[in-house]
Amino acid sequence: MNPRALMLEKAARPLYWIMLAAALWVLLRGHNAPGGGFIGGLIALAATAAYAIVFGAAAARRRLPLGPLPLAALGVALALVSGLPALWWERPYLSHLWFSLPLGFTDLKLSTVLLFDAGVFGAVWGALAGYVLALLRSVEAAAAEGPP
Amino acid sequence: MTSASWHSERSSLSYLWVALLPLAGFIGLVWGLLRHPLPWRGSWPWIPSLGVEFSIYIDGFAAQFLALITGIGALVIVYASAYLAHEPARGRLFLILIAFMVAMAGAVSADHLLLLFVCWELTSLTSFLLVGFHHEDERARASARQALLVTLSGGLALLAAILLLADMAQSYSLRAIIERGPTLVDDPRLPAALVLLFVGCFTKSAQFPFHFWLPGAMAAPTPVSAYLHSATIVNLGIYLLARLDPAFNALWLWEATLLGFGTLTAVWGAVQALRERDLKRILAWSTVSALGTLTLLIGLPNPGAGLAVATFLFAHALYKAPLFFVAGNIDHATGTRVIDRLAGLRRAMPWTAAAALLAGLSMAGLPLSFGFVAKDLISSAKADAEVLIWVSYATLFVNAAAAAVAGVAAIRIFGGGPLKPQGHIHEAPWRMVLPPLLIALVGLEFEFLPDLADPLLVEAARSIAPELDVAAVVAPYESDAAIIAAEITFVIGVLLFLAWDRLHDVLRRIHWLDHLGPAAFYERALGALAVVAAWQNRLLQHGRLAAYLRLSLIGVLALAAGASLASGAGGLIERMASLFAAWPERGWLWLAAAALIAAGAAAGLFSRDRMALLMASGLVGYGSAALFLFTGAPDLAFTQFTVETALVVVAASLLPRYGQPPVLEGEPRALNALVALACGVGTLALLAQLFALPADRTLADWFGAASVPHAHGRNVVNVIIVDFRAMDTLGEIAVVLFSLVAALPLLGALARRPRAPA
Repeated sequence: MNPRALMLEKAARPLYWIMLAAALWVLLRGHNAPGGGFIGGLIALAATAAYAIVFGAAAARRRLPLGPLPLAALGVALALVSGLPALWWERPYLSHLWFSLPLGFTDLKLSTVLLFDAGVFGAVWGALAGYVLALLRSVEAAAAEGPP
Repeated sequence: MTSASWHSERSSLSYLWVALLPLAGFIGLVWGLLRHPLPWRGSWPWIPSLGVEFSIYIDGFAAQFLALITGIGALVIVYASAYLAHEPARGRLFLILIAFMVAMAGAVSADHLLLLFVCWELTSLTSFLLVGFHHEDERARASARQALLVTLSGGLALLAAILLLADMAQSYSLRAIIERGPTLVDDPRLPAALVLLFVGCFTKSAQFPFHFWLPGAMAAPTPVSAYLHSATIVNLGIYLLARLDPAFNALWLWEATLLGFGTLTAVWGAVQALRERDLKRILAWSTVSALGTLTLLIGLPNPGAGLAVATFLFAHALYKAPLFFVAGNIDHATGTRVIDRLAGLRRAMPWTAAAALLAGLSMAGLPLSFGFVAKDLISSAKADAEVLIWVSYATLFVNAAAAAVAGVAAIRIFGGGPLKPQGHIHEAPWRMVLPPLLIALVGLEFEFLPDLADPLLVEAARSIAPELDVAAVVAPYESDAAIIAAEITFVIGVLLFLAWDRLHDVLRRIHWLDHLGPAAFYERALGALAVVAAWQNRLLQHGRLAAYLRLSLIGVLALAAGASLASGAGGLIERMASLFAAWPERGWLWLAAAALIAAGAAAGLFSRDRMALLMASGLVGYGSAALFLFTGAPDLAFTQFTVETALVVVAASLLPRYGQPPVLEGEPRALNALVALACGVGTLALLAQLFALPADRTLADWFGAASVPHAHGRNVVNVIIVDFRAMDTLGEIAVVLFSLVAALPLLGALARRPRAPA
């Protein structure tokens, strides 16, 4: 980015991680309070977009856990898979199951719903980040050739 | 294509084996005819839920068609394997030819009318592909399009006729409709059904005024013309008309239409044949003329006409296909089909000349040929029917013209001295000589061995004229009248042949014949279509997004206004006012959010800077989110905030560097403001209408009650998304993923796009 924006650059890196943490938190609390995979994915997308605006599309892409397309595909795959265990108990596909894992001090609630919501999160984050990064890349390519 | 390139006999024999398919069909048919008495029937469930059956019924008439389809089909493929030996894409032609054969066989075997219709349309479609085989040629494309448009429009009319007839007869079975036909006479829908049927059959069989596509279709490769335009597709309309003749031939409408249009087509085709110099087009026009004769014969009321139809149909296919082959051979050997540049070819191409002579004999209706039998039957059918005198004169002229055409194709081109040294002209390879010779010989053999032809033709004639009691077809020479009629026809034909060039010059000068009629109308209609398409494209598809949006909104508004006017908008104003009547709890918060929205909208209205516009739209979004928050939809508010933020941030980073002028220009701002205002009022009115309806809370209550016990979640919105309606969500995220898959190549191209010169 040229000219450099010092304040943005200094703030962007911690902001990225804070926003991602917020996105995860929104995803996890979503079943009982406002939130969920879709909103969490959008927050994560905002984090990626902000990072890309400051450091460029390529850098933001490297910060993603996977490439945008694989990330979105993984999300859809997770959602697809989350419906399968129901078939084992002869319930309709996508009937969600709940487990309780006792850890001694507290019970950890696990469910296929969480898997599904994580899939939505990944699909939204990956697919929209794919759009944003590709658009930004085209702008950067134009800017690299000089001012119009 | 040079003559040397196709002449090499060693050129691949590939695709010759394809001829085995129709040959197997032909042998199977003959074997079946010898072993099992007609008719053959069969029926299998096809679409049981709609009561549609795959039912076939093969009687003598269908068997006659099947014999032509498979027999000539096999020889056409033999011919094409040599004719197109150097055509790289010929595999496609053979594939479509086989598909066409199957469709054609299905059309003549079908008893269920919808099955017949499907096959009928399939023949149109495959013939489009066949006529347009040389699709890199502009004229071939135009011809194929013309044939398709004409026959498909007719196909639609036929479908309407089928639906009407089936509704009247309470059955989709062709047999049932023929049986019940006479009882339908009093139905007021019958005339409409018959007119639609005429349109369908006349377009397919090139009757006036739909005849023009057939000469146009001569852009097809010669084997295709020989097959489609002599023996198969053009006879399909004749087939259906003849089939239905027993049901309706007592009707004046039926008789008069067929007789009138048949005669007109026959004469028209004969006159146009005299105006042509291209051998293939001459043959095409003579086919139009022959099809007119067939239609005319169906229109005759007496059963003898049925015999004449069956015989002439057969005879015509057996002489016209060889003549098309001959035209193809000449075209291949000399590079031209214009008859002025062709003479004395008998020395260079003796076998082709022999085939032309044999076929020409039959076409001219000379004694000792099958064509003579057909012409004889036609004369006696007309004599029995006591038709109007002008019909007799017309057929006399038509037959004479056919004789003249036969003379041109068989004598003029091959006789006389060569126009120039013929050293480079060679006889065609055996695969292009055998088919015309064989078919023409079959035509002759039926004359000498009547036992072979009689049973099939009588059986065929009985199918379309049940009251027929003649036992033998080929028993001419019994009436002097027939001989005399044949002699008169022949003499006139010879005169026409001798005066061909002079007649041609005279007819050629009558230019209004070119501008008359439906061909010119078709051209104009097609031209107008292109003009209208270009005009509406300029009007609607201009590529300015703001204008697209404006037009869409105006359209939605007009629809909504129309619907509300139609359903009675009484009390709308009161209802809208009632929305504001009660001051809600914490109403000032709502008001603050609304003020935010209004401020954003006003800023959008008065700002010209794109960045400011973006911020203004963001403000509207934030205002909506705040409103959601205060009205008890925190989830929605949350989503709206996030979406709006992400959108503004991304768009703001894209906008300044996208090469767009930063300031918006040329937009009709007053109109936009008006549309926006109307949209706002319209939404308000919609809400008012909605609130006036009794609210059904069944689903809302159920989801609210079931959320925790069934899905262990207190956030009902999220529970619906991930659990109750999880399948929908799965579909949606898959769509998001696939849209990215589709968009990435486009966006990638955007990044690589070279900057347009300023």
